Amino acid sequence: MNRRMGLLLGLLLFAGCSGDTGDEGFAGLAGLEQGAVSDTLYLQPGPGVRLSFPADFGPHPQHRIEWWYLTANLETAVGEPLGLQWTQFRQALEPRAASEPAPAATDWPLQAAWMAHGAVSWKGQHYFAEKLARGDMGSAGATAVPFKVWLDNWQLRGNADNDRWHLQAAGDGWSYDLTLSIEGAPVAHGEEGFSAKSASGEGSMYFSLVDIAITGEVTLDGEVLVVRGKGWFDREWSSQLLKTGQKGWDWFALHLDSGDKLMAFRLRDDSGSFLSGTWLPAEGDPVRLSSEELSLKELERRKDVPVRWQLSIPAYQVELQLNAPPGDYLNRGLYPYWESPVNVSGSHSGEGYMELTGYRTQ
Amino acid sequence: MKGLPSLFPPTFHTFFLPGGLLSHYRRHPLQLLALAAMIVIATMLWTGVNHLTSQARASLNQSEQAVAERQQVVRNDGRALAIDDFVALRLAGVCVMPWLEVTPETGSRLVGIDPLAAHCFGAGTGASQALDQPLDGKPFVDVYAAAGVSARESRLYLLTPEATQATDLPGGYSLKTFATSPDTGELGDSFLLNLEALGVLVLLITALLLRAVYLLGLAQRRASFVLLHRFGVSPEQVQRWLVLEILVLALVCVVPGVWLGRWLAAGLGGGFGQALDGLFDIPLYAGQGHGWITPVLVMLAVVVLACLGDLILLRFRGRLSLPVPVRAGLATALLVAGLVLAWLGPSLAWVFGAVALVFAGAGWLTPAAVAHLAYWCADRSQVPLARWRYRELAVLARQLTLPLVALQFALAMVLSVQALVTTFEDTFDRWLGQRLEAAYYIEVPAGADGRKAAEWLTSQQASIPGLQWHRVVRGQAQLANAGSLQVDVFAVSPVGSLMRAWALVEAADQPWETLASGEGGMINEQLARRQRLEVGDSLQLIVGDQPQAFSVLGVYPDYGRPVGEVLLNAETLPETFNIRFESISVSPGEPGIAPVTDALQRIWGVNALTVRDNGTIRELATGVFDQTFALTRAMTLLTLILAASALLMMGWVFFSTRAWYFRLLVVWGMSQREVADQLQRLALLLTGGIAVLALPLGIWLTWVLVHRINPLAFGWSLPMAVYPAFWLELCILSLAIGLSIAALMRRQLGSPAVAPASASALTGDER
Repeated sequence: MNRRMGLLLGLLLFAGCSGDTGDEGFAGLAGLEQGAVSDTLYLQPGPGVRLSFPADFGPHPQHRIEWWYLTANLETAVGEPLGLQWTQFRQALEPRAASEPAPAATDWPLQAAWMAHGAVSWKGQHYFAEKLARGDMGSAGATAVPFKVWLDNWQLRGNADNDRWHLQAAGDGWSYDLTLSIEGAPVAHGEEGFSAKSASGEGSMYFSLVDIAITGEVTLDGEVLVVRGKGWFDREWSSQLLKTGQKGWDWFALHLDSGDKLMAFRLRDDSGSFLSGTWLPAEGDPVRLSSEELSLKELERRKDVPVRWQLSIPAYQVELQLNAPPGDYLNRGLYPYWESPVNVSGSHSGEGYMELTGYRTQ
Repeated sequence: MKGLPSLFPPTFHTFFLPGGLLSHYRRHPLQLLALAAMIVIATMLWTGVNHLTSQARASLNQSEQAVAERQQVVRNDGRALAIDDFVALRLAGVCVMPWLEVTPETGSRLVGIDPLAAHCFGAGTGASQALDQPLDGKPFVDVYAAAGVSARESRLYLLTPEATQATDLPGGYSLKTFATSPDTGELGDSFLLNLEALGVLVLLITALLLRAVYLLGLAQRRASFVLLHRFGVSPEQVQRWLVLEILVLALVCVVPGVWLGRWLAAGLGGGFGQALDGLFDIPLYAGQGHGWITPVLVMLAVVVLACLGDLILLRFRGRLSLPVPVRAGLATALLVAGLVLAWLGPSLAWVFGAVALVFAGAGWLTPAAVAHLAYWCADRSQVPLARWRYRELAVLARQLTLPLVALQFALAMVLSVQALVTTFEDTFDRWLGQRLEAAYYIEVPAGADGRKAAEWLTSQQASIPGLQWHRVVRGQAQLANAGSLQVDVFAVSPVGSLMRAWALVEAADQPWETLASGEGGMINEQLARRQRLEVGDSLQLIVGDQPQAFSVLGVYPDYGRPVGEVLLNAETLPETFNIRFESISVSPGEPGIAPVTDALQRIWGVNALTVRDNGTIRELATGVFDQTFALTRAMTLLTLILAASALLMMGWVFFSTRAWYFRLLVVWGMSQREVADQLQRLALLLTGGIAVLALPLGIWLTWVLVHRINPLAFGWSLPMAVYPAFWLELCILSLAIGLSIAALMRRQLGSPAVAPASASALTGDER
């Protein structure tokens, strides 16, 4: 119990510390209890672990951390770009085997903490809200069949065929109500779904849905905007996402006008960085990109946050410039991080999303 | 006439016209002074009441937030909350945090909270402040730990932020204050609402008085206006200058009036704040109320409307003048409609509207009714002098309409304020008595056993003369005969002399003795009304986990507290009762509090105790409430004096203009003394009559404030008390005004004759 309380207090403590150093982003949370006795009780993904559907849409209680993550590049009825994010995290405080029944809600169990983030970016304005809940109570959770992820009244629900989802979330001055049409099968990143996060083997299970047509309404300060566009959905879980010393990551998911898509990330530490990605050609199978095949360079910073990037994949003649639109896109929650849409120019044009964690101003 | 202005150069209008207009005040400086004084005093009065009310309201709001800083969601069916309710509310998007209170089999009370659920409260707000404390079991722990404790009793509360509205909740739930000590805001709130209503009345009365004095001046200036008109000055030009004149005068007088009003209120404000701080142990005084702009603008508007409304209406006067029977009918209709609305009005707005209608109807009807009655009496009187007197009374009633109505309103207001203040004073006194029944209040520290203190105090009873004490235990129980309705439990032991001073609304024979023997319980007024319980009824309670039956021994007043409460003998509480609060109330007698606190520290093994000196607080609170009431009375009395002065001034001027006419009585053979006597009887008849007519209006206003406005605003009512002795005082005061007018007239009769032509200068040539 004391350890669990320590974890919980640690979780809250991080909120207070995160403004001072660059080490304690959300990514740092996974390394919080590394080395503890219970580490051995958590399942650690690795090469050879395979994805399983639809089960992997649901929770993985024997893993320490996981998230369901949606970003969307939308347009209003008059063609104005609007960016949107919804993420729900589960942080285990105690591992539980999949076969083990969930503890009774009457005990107010503390085996898992849930956190949800919602954000809307429009005309340089960034709206953000955060919700927290303890797991196994009924107020927050996830199920694979039927597919459902919820925290209070923020809910993502799939239909019986799991090809049509409904997403609702609301914060101060904003809300959205969207219908998502899932077009295409899940894309496994890394090695059959195991995505390495360092050269020494730490990593996570990671897949994405990259063809999602979205329609719906976004309400901002009372103004209802009819929107449509495309989305990118990630599922990722692990028990040791980062290795000690890693400070944060830079992550990009891009829809190129050519029909190609790209996911790329960089994990930073004192000695250098670890790059990885997946090239999703318009026709053909996804291609895993290693650190050597991918380069990422900062071009410009805005208040210590890199907002212009150069991304190159020489093997595919890809030379992209990524620009965040004007504005401040920090998600100021317990673990502040940057989450913004990006415009793509250079060898290809397009749009996408960028997530940056662990920068000093955060 | 249009050609005449050309006879004068433009400088005439710029320099000589204002000079000519203002020459009236050069000839009658006292009138200017009276008008200025009236504006200053009226502004001071209203600003004072308004400022005091806003200050006190802000302070009380602050105190409510501090004492009952959280609110909770409860089930409408009164049943205890469960985890399903927590989940249902969260899924509906309502921010709620669990607050699980458990009483372990051994050890002290624990409160389980969920830091994750509390995240939606935001930093630094009500409930999240509870989280600033470490979850170290003193008494806060994570809700998981609290749920795992083997408990004698546990209860779940769901706290929600202040911002949550009732409309945010799904069906079947409502909001309720979550307080760990009794809520005391309603009583003060009620008093302030009534004070605000009276502030509006003060504004109305002062407007009437201002209008009366200003119209008197205008009537006297009529000859000047005619003269100016002959010189080619159009009425519009005169009006423009008059507007400018009153605006300048108003501005010059309103500013010092507002300053004086704020000064008056500030004197009280500090004291009020001190009392609140003492009562609630935390700084609560909200400081200054509204700024300068509002009172200045309001009073400027009142002065301009009161004085110039007439000028504006002059244009429509022809169209507005209605035949007397129509006016009387309309006034009666307003009065009746107001009375019916006040009786049946479903909301505060309707009742306030009804009060306005009744005052409008009464104000319109009174002078006409007096005049009508006077004529009726004159027609039936066989004595010529009496007939003359009655007819003269009718003329007076018509000519002095405004000051008479103002006096009637002021008398009615003073009467209602007196009744209200006396009732509140009495209620506050009893409330303080109930809240601060002992000289000291010592909180039992967390983890300490109050019973050990009780044992020690019992052992000291014989050796310390004058020692009075009892142990207070607070918690909750369920009323089994009301669908498991949750009620607060207020238990004391022993039921000693400190308790017996309580005033009971209803009681059985020897209620305190029976309670002391543990054979019954008492209930508060709220519970008695809601559950229709009476003395002698049986009360089925689930205390702790045990059903217990109590006979209702008495009903005690709750002074606006909305929660049902049961007063029990603490000895009858079962071991499983979850004690939420425990304290010792002590009046230590001669040796003082120090030996008691020293002993209790030793017994409980603590270094410090939370001790509240109730005696000092009570003294301070009583003093401050007395000061509040005294000031309220002073303000209303000042209004009365203002109204009386206006009537005196108007009466004097009016009588002066008719002095030549009164002297005719001497010509007809009466001695000057006999004439003076007649005038004295006339003046007494007038002011006495107004006082008599003010009585029903005042009593009605008291009834409306106590029985209609208070219940509509707060859901409970104060007892309405009537004070006939005060009515008599008011009648005597009114007669004294009449005597003063008569005394002035007596002097006037002795002075050289006044030209009869001036009689028409007032308002006409009525004889």
